[in-house]
Amino acid sequence: MAQSAKPISSPVPIAYYPSLAVLLLAVGLVITASFFIYEATSSRKNRSLAKELVTGAVASVFLGFGSLFLLLASGVYV
Amino acid sequence: MSRFRFDLLLLLVLSLQLSPALSDLIISKLDRRIDLTSQIVRVTMTLKVENTGHDPVSEVSFTFPEHQANNLALLLAVSTEGKGKNRGAATNLPIGVKQPNDSPPSLVWYAASLPKELGKGESLNMDVLAVFTHSLRPFPEKITQAEPQLLLFQDSAHFTSPYNVKVQSLTVKLPSGNVESYTKLEKTKFSGSEIKYGPFENLPALSYSPVIIHFPSNKPFAIAKELVREIEISHWGNVQVTEHYSIIHGGAQSTGEFSRLDFQARPEVRGASAFRHLIAMLPPRAHSIYYRDAIGNISTSNIHSDSSKTLVEIEPRYPMFGGWKTSFTIGYGLPLHDYLFQSGGNRFLNITFGSPLFDVLVENLTLKVVLPEGSKDIYSSVPFPVKESQETKFSHLDIAGRPTIVIEKVNVVPEHNQYFQVHYKFSNISLLTEPLMLIFGFFALFVACIIYMHADLTISKSSSSYLAKLQWDEVQGTIQQLQDIINRCLLIHDKLEASLRELSRTGDVQACKAVRKSADSLLKDLSKELKPLLALLQSSPQAAHILPKVEDLVMKERDLQEKILLKHTTVVDSYERKSMSRDAENRVAAIQQKISALKQEVDDLLDFVEDI
Repeated sequence: MAQSAKPISSPVPIAYYPSLAVLLLAVGLVITASFFIYEATSSRKNRSLAKELVTGAVASVFLGFGSLFLLLASGVYV
Repeated sequence: MSRFRFDLLLLLVLSLQLSPALSDLIISKLDRRIDLTSQIVRVTMTLKVENTGHDPVSEVSFTFPEHQANNLALLLAVSTEGKGKNRGAATNLPIGVKQPNDSPPSLVWYAASLPKELGKGESLNMDVLAVFTHSLRPFPEKITQAEPQLLLFQDSAHFTSPYNVKVQSLTVKLPSGNVESYTKLEKTKFSGSEIKYGPFENLPALSYSPVIIHFPSNKPFAIAKELVREIEISHWGNVQVTEHYSIIHGGAQSTGEFSRLDFQARPEVRGASAFRHLIAMLPPRAHSIYYRDAIGNISTSNIHSDSSKTLVEIEPRYPMFGGWKTSFTIGYGLPLHDYLFQSGGNRFLNITFGSPLFDVLVENLTLKVVLPEGSKDIYSSVPFPVKESQETKFSHLDIAGRPTIVIEKVNVVPEHNQYFQVHYKFSNISLLTEPLMLIFGFFALFVACIIYMHADLTISKSSSSYLAKLQWDEVQGTIQQLQDIINRCLLIHDKLEASLRELSRTGDVQACKAVRKSADSLLKDLSKELKPLLALLQSSPQAAHILPKVEDLVMKERDLQEKILLKHTTVVDSYERKSMSRDAENRVAAIQQKISALKQEVDDLLDFVEDI
């Protein structure tokens, strides 16, 4: 083994995975809810595509990282 | 034998550059110990090599009969300088097969290269470990449940060395003090559980004197016919090890019927040759350990862990008798930082090679190291010869698959449990591919929703219900816009009121007037925007039933607007005149009352319109 060998650990401490999963998924689901409320309540004429896309993108970032940490916390190391 | 020596001398004469004559070396002292306490036969030798020739020697050869060499799993030679307490550091000697052309048949030669040449008259101490598998033959080959297992071991009392040996002795350690029979030579001593042959003096090279030992042994005879060991690295903080075993009891075959009752009642007697459990020594901090087979979880396992190791005691579903087979899987996770290191731009995994099970011989070991997706420049360094190949494995959230290095080796004994390394290059950016895939997956879902909501999927575009729906959509849109405008008006009203409050506090008439001016222009714009919307609603038959309310709302709002503007003008005027007449005060109070009433009405109407 080389002398200068440095141990590598995970980018985020493993102990934080469950709480990160809950937090990110909660935020993601709230934004998802607001997205669908907007879809359902605004009429077709005055719906803004940019707003829909931005809400969707932000929600998917939170849901994406949230589900990643959920997988990691439950032992599926992707 | 003399012919063999003569040939060698001839060779030496023919090519002076050739390695020096083997007979130049002599072994002045050789102690050989054979350990028969487990199914794996371990031979340890301590020897002292002396150079009696003129030329320096750089290699020491060992020979084994072919039938033994076929079962040789490991041969290690260590040389030490000095004696007793002055013993220097041990150096591992590289060993290779080196078959001389004139070797007698059925002999296999191994040559250990010395760290420095052995000059004339010099001597060297060596320790040699040879591990043999499949060297114990059960005899009788078939036994019943109640019979003990008897094993037969065969070797030579004299070490078949290519050099002359001055003094040598052999000690054989048995698992117990019982022995069925053993070859008795002139110098043979049996004491305790050890049989001692020798010392024999001044033996010529390649002398042979067979000994046979027949002894009872009920040690576990667990042989893993096949072990697939998969080590999967996740840079998110885990090294997952999964081991698939198919184990057989390799001792004397069980014959006759098996009585569970007898076994349960007196397992030591009526099942002496069987083994009930295996013990795996996992590294410390192993977590999420499981033990299962094709049926499911096997609950008969136990874990004891401390800071230096994790002991897992696994019990197969049934006791293992001779010839019985079982297969199962154990798996565990290990913390990443204990096994993965970085040096320079390279990352490397440093983990043990063999099976963690105690005293299990693995006939075919397949070791797969699954590296994360995006690893490059992969190579492994294993301290002994192995067969190596590469493949790709598909697992969770993979696109191109994970590069996998496959290492195969036959006859793996516990001594092979050494650390080996797999080096590779990996960029931390690649860690983000998995979350990005999830993010794009979710985003695709949202985009699908947006498209669905925007797309018009009606087949018959001319049906009356479709047209009615279109019109209603339009009405709804208009009402929403109208609502929006009225809300903005209300906001401007609030601003005006706030400016009045500010005026009473600071007395800054100019600022108040400026607010009024901007409010005026805004309100004008809004009322302009309102007009076409209202016209649209009036023209639409769909909106007929809500039109009165909407018109009412607009009227009331306009009224409110007027009153507020009036109030604003009155107050500002009185401020400009620096005096507030009683009359003006009364007027303002009256307007204020109306404003409150109107505000209430407008709010109610807005609520109603919002419900549409």
